[in-house]
Amino acid sequence: MTRVTVTVDDAHRRSISTLARSLADKGMQVDRVMETMGCITGSIPSGTATAVATTLRNVPGVLSVDPDVAYRVAPPDSDVQ
Amino acid sequence: MEFSIPALPDPDPSTVPLGGTPVQTTGRFIVVFARGADAKATLARTAGVGTVADSRDFTAQAVDFSQTDGSDAVWFDALGVAVVTAEPAQLGALRTAEAGEDAIISVSPELIHHILDGDYLQGYRDGVSDLAGRLGAVERPAGSGALAAAAANPPFADNAQFTWGLQATGVSTSPQSGAGIKVAVLDTGFDVGHPDFVGRSVTTQSFVAGETVQDGHGHGTHCIGTSCGSKAPESGPRYGVAYGASIYAGKVLGDSGSGSDGGIIAGINWAVENGCHVISMSLGADVASVHPPYTVVGQRALDAGSLIVAAAGNNADRRVGNFGFVGTPANSPFIMAVGALDQKLDMAYFSARTLAGTRGGQVDIAGPGYQVYSSWLMPTRYKTISGTSMATPHVAGVAALWAELTGYRGRDLWATLAQDSQRLLQPSVDVGGGLVLAPQ
Repeated sequence: MTRVTVTVDDAHRRSISTLARSLADKGMQVDRVMETMGCITGSIPSGTATAVATTLRNVPGVLSVDPDVAYRVAPPDSDVQ
Repeated sequence: MEFSIPALPDPDPSTVPLGGTPVQTTGRFIVVFARGADAKATLARTAGVGTVADSRDFTAQAVDFSQTDGSDAVWFDALGVAVVTAEPAQLGALRTAEAGEDAIISVSPELIHHILDGDYLQGYRDGVSDLAGRLGAVERPAGSGALAAAAANPPFADNAQFTWGLQATGVSTSPQSGAGIKVAVLDTGFDVGHPDFVGRSVTTQSFVAGETVQDGHGHGTHCIGTSCGSKAPESGPRYGVAYGASIYAGKVLGDSGSGSDGGIIAGINWAVENGCHVISMSLGADVASVHPPYTVVGQRALDAGSLIVAAAGNNADRRVGNFGFVGTPANSPFIMAVGALDQKLDMAYFSARTLAGTRGGQVDIAGPGYQVYSSWLMPTRYKTISGTSMATPHVAGVAALWAELTGYRGRDLWATLAQDSQRLLQPSVDVGGGLVLAPQ
């Protein structure tokens, strides 16, 4: 699975739960629905990620669908962290 | 707006500066009043100033000076400022009132201004400095960064009382503690058993599946220490900025040090929902473009009164001419990116430079980020490490001090930090507005 963040426009933030259900219907495994930030995070099948992402982008209220970026801090014994 | 300039008095010879063009004054005085003060009553009572022309009597508050010749003063209502014609005795009375009363903030001579033109500018500046010195400079509001005299010069060094970073930023002499301010640190969590935080208000939440908020790395505990550490640690120097703030420790990076957008955005969402005024994120990825969710997230956080500060990144090695670049999320336009300085206030060798050609990709401000001593996991207790990760919580803590003092939030708080930072000789692509400074 490819982890993604779906960003929702201001107009649809209030009804974000409904929008999340649409995303789920279209193949997203929804993890978190965050009304304050207007973001829905979860994952989509890696094999069809491009196609699914395009479908999700076309859902009214979706501003963008972005694959997760990985973050890492240096090991605890590093001088620079 | 047309107005007639009355005949000018001869310039007072005592105001002619050495080698410069004399500063010219009109002989009148600008009196600044506190908000809500009854200016006309104060002018009458303290200085016997009788007739006051009021800007509100003019159409669209455009004062027509041809109609104010008979007045002793002109009152600009929207600004709370009066231009006063005063005899020496009246001036004396106004200045005495300035010192004692709440109503008058300052009394200054009305200067004559000219278009800027080469050598004249130099002389004008010298003249104004000279005049200001003779008449007494205008009082600056409390908390503003008139810090050059207060702070010692670099290089700084940890001493028995304070880490070098607290000295350099003026935290060591700041009256503020961050009381009433909520600071969220989104990182590897927190060592909830650390003795230096006993009695502090600490709210914790893990956003890493399968892990508790208890810090298994150290990075989070170090950053919470820098931003919010105790005024009087069990041993050693003070290392924390906002010792009176409420701490919100969000674990968005696992004990291994890794995390992803899902957890980070959830952490930001939690912090904003809990009313955190400052969100400190000492994390990033070396991605040379803006990651779209953070543009919207940063904006919504600011709208809600939360200022997010993030590490510019450690991907530079200036020792070999590599300046790196600001990665995500710091390169986002609505997230404040923090660069790292060393004890000489030079760039730390790893501190990332502004990501060129990208809106939001700039380094916005800088903080102490080299050999920073702070709390660590027990039983180690304390550790000294370097990074833009260390500079970031300095800025977050100082933001809490300014938030406490001014009541400013979000964008206003960002502007205050930018305004009051110490301008450095380093290029702005590396330090933004300069070294963050605490209110004095």
